[in-house]
Amino acid sequence: MKKDIFKLGLALALFAAGACAALAAVHIATKDTIAGHAARKLLNSQQDLFPSADTFVELESGVSTEAAKIQFDGVWKAMSGNTVVGLVIKGIGPSYTGNAEVLVGINKNMKVVGARILKLNDTPGLGANATKKTYYVDKATETTFPAQFSDKNASDAFAVGEDIIAITASTITSKGLSAIVKAAADSGAAWLRSNAGGM
Amino acid sequence: MKQLWKMFTRGLIVENPLLMLMIGLCSALAVTSSVANSIGMGGAMIFVIVFAELVISLFRKLIPKDARIPIFIIVIAAFTTIIHLLMQAYLPDLSESLGVFIPLIVVNCIIMGRVEAWASKQPPHFAVADALGMGLGYTWVLVGIGAVRELLGNGTLLDFQIMPQSFEPILFFTLPPGGFMVFAFFISFNIWLKKVTGTKAGNTIVSESV
Repeated sequence: MKKDIFKLGLALALFAAGACAALAAVHIATKDTIAGHAARKLLNSQQDLFPSADTFVELESGVSTEAAKIQFDGVWKAMSGNTVVGLVIKGIGPSYTGNAEVLVGINKNMKVVGARILKLNDTPGLGANATKKTYYVDKATETTFPAQFSDKNASDAFAVGEDIIAITASTITSKGLSAIVKAAADSGAAWLRSNAGGM
Repeated sequence: MKQLWKMFTRGLIVENPLLMLMIGLCSALAVTSSVANSIGMGGAMIFVIVFAELVISLFRKLIPKDARIPIFIIVIAAFTTIIHLLMQAYLPDLSESLGVFIPLIVVNCIIMGRVEAWASKQPPHFAVADALGMGLGYTWVLVGIGAVRELLGNGTLLDFQIMPQSFEPILFFTLPPGGFMVFAFFISFNIWLKKVTGTKAGNTIVSESV
C-alpha cells in the first residue's frame, strides 16, 4: 500500500517537474517579447493620443479617482519640450468579462483627445467589438466605439444611451468602458487645472 | 499506412468530435463568431492535442493507472500554457482576441477524451494520426461555422467586407442562438456528407481503445 502511494506520488512529481521545466524554458524564451509588445503598445497609444508630444513623463502620485471599482495603473504627462500639453491616464475597471484597460488622453482645454482600449477580455463578436477597427456604432459617420470619446468635454455625462452609443447587445461592456473614460477625464482635468494651467 | 490514413480521416467526418461525438462544444460555439478566431482556436487546439497525445503515448507504459488522470491534466495544461505564451509573444492580436478561450483548452473534453480513450493505449504514430484527424476535424467545423456567422452577422470574412454595403448584418448569427442554429445545420450537413461518401463509423471510440 505504502509502496503504491510512493510510486504514484513519484510518477506525478516527475511529470510535474518535466512540465515545469518545459514551461520555464518557454517562459524565458518569450517573456522579453511579450513585455516588449506591451511596452510598444503603450507607447504607440500614447503617441497616437498626443502626436505633438515628444516625451511622456510618468507621474508617481497626484492623480486618483473616487469612482467605484476603477483604478489608475499609470499617469503620464505628455510633454512637448518643457510644456505640458496634456495627461495620459491608464484606467482599469470592470467590464463584462474581468477588467478592461483603457488609455485616455486629456488636453489642457479639458477635452478628451481620445481613448485607446489596451485590454478587453469580453466576448468575441459582442463586447470585443469595442476594439475592432471595422465595427461602427454609427455607420453613417463610420465612428468606432472608442472614437466617440474624442473631443468630448471632461464635464460631459459619458452616459450610455445619452451621449454615448452602446455596442449592440453589449451594454455592460459599453457602460464599463465609458465609466473608465469618465473617471480618467474627471481626474485628469482636475490635475491639469491645478498643475498645468489648464482651463 | 492505410491504417494510419484511416485513423487520420475518421476524425474529419465519421467521428468528427464536434458533429458526431458532440464533445468540446462550449468553446466551439463561443469563438465561432469570426473566421480569424476560429482559425486561431483550431490551430491552438491542433498543437495541444497532437503534443499531448504524443507525449502520453510515448510514456504510456510508465504512467500508473491510478494516477493517470492528474498526469494527463498536467501534460495537457503544460502544452496549453506553452501555446498561450507563444501566441502572446508571436500572435499578440489573435491571442488578445481569443482571450480566455485559449487557457480553457485545458478543460476541453476532446483532448481529455482522446488521451484517455486512445493515446494512453496506442503507439505514438497511431496517437499522432488520431490527434491530427481530430484536431483538423475540430478546426474545419469551427472555420465553417465562423464563416457563416461572420458573413451573415457582420457582412465580412476575415474582416474583409464581402456583402454589399446595403446588406444589413443579421445580429442573430453573432449571438449564441445563431451559433446553435448554424451548428445544427452543420450536424445535418455532416450526416449528409457521411451518406454521400458512404463512410461508416467502424468501432466506437470505446471499443477501439480497448
